[in-house]
Amino acid sequence: MTTAPVFAVVGHPNKGKSSVVATLSQNDAIAIALEPGTTRARQDYPLTVDGQKLYTLVDTPGFQRPRRVLQWLEAHSISASDHPETVRAFVLQHRGDERFVDECELLAPIVEGAGIIYVVDGSVPYSAEHEAEMTILRWTGRPSLALINSIGEDDYSDTWQSALGQFFQVVRKFDAVRAPFEQHLSLLRAFGQLEPDWEEPLERATRFLSEQRHQRRHQSAGLIAIALEDLMSYQEKRTLTLNQVAETSDTSLAETLRDRWYRHQRKREQTLRIDIEHLYQHQRIRRQEAELQWHSQHDLFSEDTRKHWAVSKRYLATAGFGAGAVGGAGIDAMTLGSSLGTGALVGGLIGAAGSYFYGDRLLLPALNIGPLKDGLKTASFGPVQDSQFGYVVLGRAVDHWWHISHRNHAGRDLLELEPADHHWLEQLDKTSRREIQRAFDRCRKQRPLTHQQRENLTTAIEQAMSAYDDWRLNRA
Amino acid sequence: MSQNPLRLLLDFDDRIQRDRDQPSAFLHRRDRRFALDCEQQGITPDASHWLAHMDRLSGPGGTVTAGSRELRLWYRVNGGFVAAGCLIGILTMLGLLFYDGGQRINITVILAFVLFQLLLALATTVQALVGWQPWRWLLKRLHRDHASPTRARLQPLLMARAAHAGGVAFGLAGLATLLVMVVVQDLAFGWSTTLDTAASGYHSLVNTLATPWSWLWPAAVPSLELVEATRFFRAASGTPGIDPSRWGQWWPFVVMLWLTWTVIPRVLLLILSQGLLRHRAARLLARHPGMQALLYRMETATLDTGSSHNDAADLPDTRTRSRPDLLPDTPIMICWAGAGEPELPQRLQAPDTRIFRAGGRATLAQDDEVLAQVGDQLAGQKAPAVIVVTRSWEPPTGELHDFLEAALERWPSGARVTLLPLASDPNRPPETHLVQPWLRFTERLAPGFASVALPPTGEPDPYLAGSVQP
Repeated sequence: MTTAPVFAVVGHPNKGKSSVVATLSQNDAIAIALEPGTTRARQDYPLTVDGQKLYTLVDTPGFQRPRRVLQWLEAHSISASDHPETVRAFVLQHRGDERFVDECELLAPIVEGAGIIYVVDGSVPYSAEHEAEMTILRWTGRPSLALINSIGEDDYSDTWQSALGQFFQVVRKFDAVRAPFEQHLSLLRAFGQLEPDWEEPLERATRFLSEQRHQRRHQSAGLIAIALEDLMSYQEKRTLTLNQVAETSDTSLAETLRDRWYRHQRKREQTLRIDIEHLYQHQRIRRQEAELQWHSQHDLFSEDTRKHWAVSKRYLATAGFGAGAVGGAGIDAMTLGSSLGTGALVGGLIGAAGSYFYGDRLLLPALNIGPLKDGLKTASFGPVQDSQFGYVVLGRAVDHWWHISHRNHAGRDLLELEPADHHWLEQLDKTSRREIQRAFDRCRKQRPLTHQQRENLTTAIEQAMSAYDDWRLNRA
Repeated sequence: MSQNPLRLLLDFDDRIQRDRDQPSAFLHRRDRRFALDCEQQGITPDASHWLAHMDRLSGPGGTVTAGSRELRLWYRVNGGFVAAGCLIGILTMLGLLFYDGGQRINITVILAFVLFQLLLALATTVQALVGWQPWRWLLKRLHRDHASPTRARLQPLLMARAAHAGGVAFGLAGLATLLVMVVVQDLAFGWSTTLDTAASGYHSLVNTLATPWSWLWPAAVPSLELVEATRFFRAASGTPGIDPSRWGQWWPFVVMLWLTWTVIPRVLLLILSQGLLRHRAARLLARHPGMQALLYRMETATLDTGSSHNDAADLPDTRTRSRPDLLPDTPIMICWAGAGEPELPQRLQAPDTRIFRAGGRATLAQDDEVLAQVGDQLAGQKAPAVIVVTRSWEPPTGELHDFLEAALERWPSGARVTLLPLASDPNRPPETHLVQPWLRFTERLAPGFASVALPPTGEPDPYLAGSVQP
C-alpha cells in the first residue's frame, strides 16, 4: 500500500500560504493575518476518508534567510546529484538553530517526501529576491507546483507565470479567497498530476469532496424546509387566570404575544443560519454574529425586507393555482371523474384568486383569546396567515445559503448579505412552486407535513437554490 | 434485539427523534463507523443491528426502550378492551337470553344482533384501513396524542387491533354465558317477525346461515318442522299442541351461529389486523426518512478535511507604537533586494547620492562589501545616517534583520538607518497596511537605531497619521 501524498505549502512570508491551506482544508480557524510570521510552525491538515488519509496539506512558515541557506548548500555540494542529500543534511544540522527555525520547519516535510506547493502573490510585481528560495526548492528534487495567489487588486501573474515556469513543473493561478469550488477540485487534480502514484488518491479525494458538496446542498435544503415549517406554523400561546384576564387589556396582551412571537421567529431564523454555516464548516462566522447584519439592517419583519424578498402577485397566483387545483381534484375523484376536471379548474381558480387578491397584504397573525376552561383562558398569536412571509424567509435563507456555500474558508471579512430582487424565483418550475405553496398552506393551518410532503418541499427548495444560482450567474 | 417489526419501528423512530439535534457530521461518523465494523465482521447492517449496537454502547440500564414503553401502553389498552369485552359479552348474552318463562327468546333478535356485530367488526377494520380514528379522545386522555408522524400512522391499526381483541373477548364471553345458560336453565327459543314471512322462507334463511357447520354438526341445522313448530305470535301466550322440548332444540343453532358469525370473524379480523400492523410497521420502517438517512450515512464514506486545528486566536501582536519618521538628509542609500529597480525616482536622488545594492540577487559577500563601503563613508560624520530603500509589498525578512544587525556592529556608533518602503508605483505612497509591518520590524531592532520614513509626496499621508496606535 502506498502512503498518502503530502504537500508542503511553502513560499515567501505573507504570500497567502495559510489562505491556500484554509480554503483547501475547509478550515476557517487557521490564523491568517497581514503580518509576516503569522505561521510559526508547520501544521498538518490531512484529508481522511473513513479514517484513511488521502493526502495531507502542510502549512509552513515563510523563508527568512534563503540566501544563507543556499550559500550553505552550495558550500556542501559537489554535483547536482547530491543536492537532495545536501538539503536533508542542512535540515538535520540546523534543527534547533534559532536563525533557521523557519527554513527547517518548511524544508523538513519536503526532505521527508512531501510534494512542493510554492505560493506567490500575483498582485505584486515579480521579484528576483525569490530566486534563492526557488533554487533551494529545486535542489530538493521533489515534485513541485507553483500557485499564483492574488492578494491585492493588481495583476502581474503573466510575469510570474514565465518566471515560475523555469523552476516548477506546473504553474497554476488560484485565488484562495475567491476561487469557486470547482477550482479547488481542479487544483487537487493538478496535485495528483505531479507524480503517477498520487493521481489515484487525489482523484478519490476530489470525488468524495464533490459528493460531500452535493450532499451539503441537499442537507441545506432540508434544514431550510424544517425551518420554514417551524416559522410558518409557529404559534405563541399564553395561559391566563381570570384575574390576569381582568388585569390585562387585549391590546397589551396582543403586544406582548406579538413581541414574543417576533423574537422567536428571529431566533429561529438565526438558528437556521448557524446550522447552515456549520454544515459548510464555517464555525467562526458566528463569532461575528454581532456584526452580521442584513444589508442596511434589514430585519426579518421590515417592510423593506418584504419588498425585496416577497414574490409578485402573478407568481403567487400561478403557485396558488397549482395548490388550489389539488384541493379541487378531490371533487373530481369523488365524482369518479364525471366532473371532467371541473373540480380541479374551480379549485385552481379559487386558489389563484385568493393568492392574487390577498397575496400582497401583510396578514400577520391576530390575537385569539379562547373560551374559559377550568378557570383559565388561553390567548394565542399565530401562526402567520400570509404566505409572503414564507417567501421572505425562503428568499433570505437561500441567499444566505448561497453566500455560505460560495464562501472560501480563507475569507475573514464580514458576511454581508445584500438583498436581491425577487425575480430569481420567477425561474422556478411550476411543480416546485406548487409544492412550496402547498406546504405553506398546510403550515398556516398548523397541519404537520407528512414525510413525503417534507421531502417534496426539500426537493422544491433545492430547485429554488438552483434557480437562485442561475440567477446569480446571469446577473454577474 | 426483538425482531418484532412494530417494536423495531417504534424504537427506531424514537432513536431518530433523539438524534434530531445532533450535528450531521457526528451522526455520519458514528453510523459509518458502525457500518465499517459490520463489514469487518461480515454482518449486513440493518436497523435491528444498529439499534442493538446503540443500546450496547450506552451500557446497561437502558433496557426499557421506547418501543417497549409504547407497546406496554398498548397492552394495557388491549387489556382494557378485553376486560370490557368480557363484561359486556356476559351482560349482552344475559340480556339476549332473558326469559321469564312465559315469553320465547326470539331467534330473529339474535340474528339481528349477530349481523350488527359483524357489521361493527367490518367497520372497525375499514376505519383502520382508511385511517379514521374515532378513538382519538381516548389517546388524548392517555396523553399519547403528541406522537411522531410515524406513530400517528400506526395508531388506527393499533386501535383496531385493540377493538378486535375486545370483540373476541365479547364473543367468547357471550358464548360461555350461552352455554352456561343452556345448562342451568331450560331456554325456550322461537322465532317471530311482524313481516308476512312463511316458515319455509325463514327456514331457508337459517339454513343458509348454518351452511358453514352443516357438515360438522347436522343437529345444529334447524329442520323445516322445527321452524314451523316454533313460530310464535305476539298475542299468543303459548302455542298449544307443541312438544315443550322442541322450544329448546334451537340452542345448538344459536351456539354455532354465535361461534361462526360473531367469534370467528372477530378472530380472523384480529389476526388480519395483527398481520396488517406488522406489514405496515415493516413498510414504515423501510420508508422512514430516518432510515433513508441512516442508509446514506452507512453507505457513504466520512470525509474529514483536517479542519480540527484551531489557531485562529493565536495571531501576532500587530499593535504599532512607532510612527513614520522624517526622511534624513543623507547621500547614502542602500537599495534592498531589488527595490528602486530599474531606477529610483528623481526626487529621492540628490546629485551627490551614492546608491548601493544589497539583498535579493546579491550574494552575501556582496552584502558584506556594501556594509564595509557604507561604514567607510559614514566614518567621521557627525550624524551618520543611511536610507535603506525596500519594496513595501515584500515584508521584512530575517535576511534584512541580519544585514541591519551586522550594520549596527560595524558602522560607527550613532549611525541611524531609515527604512523607506516604496510602493510598486514609486511615485505613490505605499499602502498603510504594508507600512505597518515595517514599523513593527524597526521596533524589534536596537532602540533608536532604525526607523521608517515615507517617500516624500508633498502632502502628509492622512492614513498613516491616523493609524498609529498608542
